[in-house]
Amino acid sequence: MRPIALRLAALATTLFVFAGSVDYAASHVKNVSAPLQPPVADRPSATPAPAQPTPTPLPPLVTQRGRTPVPTGTPAPRLTIAPGVRLATLAPLTFTHTS
Amino acid sequence: MDTGLLLWILARATGLSSYAALCISILSGLALRTSVLDFLATNRAIRALHDWTTWLWMPLGLVHVATLVLDKTARIAPLDVVVPFRTSYGELAIGLGTVSFDVFLIITITSWLRRRMNDRLWRWIHRTSYVAFGALFLHAYMAGTDFDSPLISALSWSVALGIGVLAVSRITLGRLPE
Repeated sequence: MRPIALRLAALATTLFVFAGSVDYAASHVKNVSAPLQPPVADRPSATPAPAQPTPTPLPPLVTQRGRTPVPTGTPAPRLTIAPGVRLATLAPLTFTHTS
Repeated sequence: MDTGLLLWILARATGLSSYAALCISILSGLALRTSVLDFLATNRAIRALHDWTTWLWMPLGLVHVATLVLDKTARIAPLDVVVPFRTSYGELAIGLGTVSFDVFLIITITSWLRRRMNDRLWRWIHRTSYVAFGALFLHAYMAGTDFDSPLISALSWSVALGIGVLAVSRITLGRLPE
């Protein structure tokens, strides 16, 4: 085989690998099983994170008139606020209505 | 397509194609001292191919390195390109790539200066290409994002094994019989 033919074959092989690699990399941009995962989570954010809502402390349980509280084995309910729920500046709920 | 994505795709594609071109270079270099490619061409033609492949793998390797330096996610500093094992993550995997880059750079420069060098020294420097290729393969295996693809993995392993067998045969048996 002539030297020029060998060179062309090497060039064609390299270009073929390059084109195939571009196609593969473009269709598999992210690989979760890649051996190297640069630490991006601790990168400082450009915008400050919004303040997380803090749950308001629960008011003490007010018993209904004249009745003795029934002892229960279940713990007092805890209020959890999902992220994104904003707190209102209203007075806390301290009583319930009975019909 | 945003710049970061373009750099990331280019870095991966040039890494793989540089590896392919370097395999051709090493195979043609081995063929000069063995007779494995005698059926294909004369030694003179193989020698011309071996010299010419530098112009294939070197630009691709340089683009691979440059795109990773420019890619903010990869976090490769310009100094990491020449000084191995100082990255903030994957020190060994990336450092092996740096070692192979440095050694191949020295081999290429000394090849251009061969006529001004002691021939024995030049040969010993040139033989370190086996070590550099080993480091490059380990770098590809340990750091290559696409190495878990069955096709890419199979091709890379087979070419590396072929080069390994030829190199061991060359070292232990000398010039192989036709």
